[in-house]
Amino acid sequence: MPKIAIDPITRIEGHLRIECQVDGGKVAEAWSSSTMFRGMELVLKGRDPRDAWLFAQRI
Amino acid sequence: MRADLNGSIVPRTATAKGWRDRRPTRWAERGVSRRSFLKFCAAMTAVLALPDRYLPRIAEALEKVKRPALVWLEFQDCAGCTESFLRASRPSVGDIALDILSVNYHETIMAPSGKAAEKSLMDTVKNEKGKYLVVVEGSIPVKDGGVYCTIGGRTALDIAREVCGSAAATITVGACAFYGGWPSARPNPTGAVGVQEAVPGITLINLPGCPPNAVNITATVVHFLTFGELPATDQQGRPLFAYGQRIHDACERRAHFDAGQFVEEWGDAGHRKGWCLYKMGCKGPATFHNCPVVRWNDGTSWPVGAGHGCVGCSERDFWDTMTPFYRRLPQVPGFGIQTTVDTIGPWIVGGTAAAFAAHGVVSAIRAKTRPPQKSEEEK
Repeated sequence: MPKIAIDPITRIEGHLRIECQVDGGKVAEAWSSSTMFRGMELVLKGRDPRDAWLFAQRI
Repeated sequence: MRADLNGSIVPRTATAKGWRDRRPTRWAERGVSRRSFLKFCAAMTAVLALPDRYLPRIAEALEKVKRPALVWLEFQDCAGCTESFLRASRPSVGDIALDILSVNYHETIMAPSGKAAEKSLMDTVKNEKGKYLVVVEGSIPVKDGGVYCTIGGRTALDIAREVCGSAAATITVGACAFYGGWPSARPNPTGAVGVQEAVPGITLINLPGCPPNAVNITATVVHFLTFGELPATDQQGRPLFAYGQRIHDACERRAHFDAGQFVEEWGDAGHRKGWCLYKMGCKGPATFHNCPVVRWNDGTSWPVGAGHGCVGCSERDFWDTMTPFYRRLPQVPGFGIQTTVDTIGPWIVGGTAAAFAAHGVVSAIRAKTRPPQKSEEEK
């Protein structure tokens, strides 16, 4: 079964990879993965809560 | 005499040949009039802080330039810098900038995906080697072999090395590409760094800000196309035309700082009157950027103008050194003092309370010598 990978997916914000398993011209299985990680939650931990909106709006 | 630029007042015979010649520009067919184009050039001359005799030179250079290739790389980003750039409309910045350049790769706006997208990028790197411009948005993670950001199966670091390494010049946009931005804030989970650190030794200019102003991005490109080199920078690689002046020194509320008139609480009488936001945590006294001058949203307003303090987004490590954002900056020197980026450094971070206490005393004395504001309010 042929496998197709599309990476990067464009015209979106962020980084996305899609992989499809094709069976007889139809998609049998598909996987999506976000190929970028920054750790917003880890950075926010322990900070002044009044600052959170400034970080979180930059997700 | 500016009126003759529009071609309505001075008779044609009275104008010199060359750039004053009133032929339609190459943008006319795309709906950008000669008037809009010259307004754009005038705005760029002003933003670059050049005398207006440079206006014809810029106009001429932009008329002649042969669409240099530009690729826009996004790594650990939020696409906010892209939004800032694309949503700018003054004066047709989007139309003109996108037409001056051949934007060969930009994930957020390009039509091809996957391998076709990567081909556009690699074709530019091969065919335009040493001639194209790169804009980088977002930080580059270096921890754990760079696995925290991959595009087309390659790490951000790998892509940056190849693409920035073969470019004529690299322009970093935003705090993330400048030094790592909030992804690099404590505890920096992914080992995020800026382009300067990830790919040392390349020709590079930094346009920090979260996001940076589209006018500054465009002006940098215009400078490069007109003079064939990047504009003069400070020690951190930030162009002086945009980052040479302290926000505090150009702030429209500066007179209130000097007069000791401060907002003490959100929504109080001083806040409603537009007094100084320093005591509410404004970082204008430690931040270098031209926000008060060029402003945002077509020159409508800017954060301090809208009643919130500056957060210092064009400074290195501001997510750690300027936070908590609502805490007053320590050690802001007295009243009526201007400063430059090279003299300001040491007192920004982790200062003692002593000098600041002095400021508090002076401010208290000034408050006492002022006519009683409260009684007026109570009436």
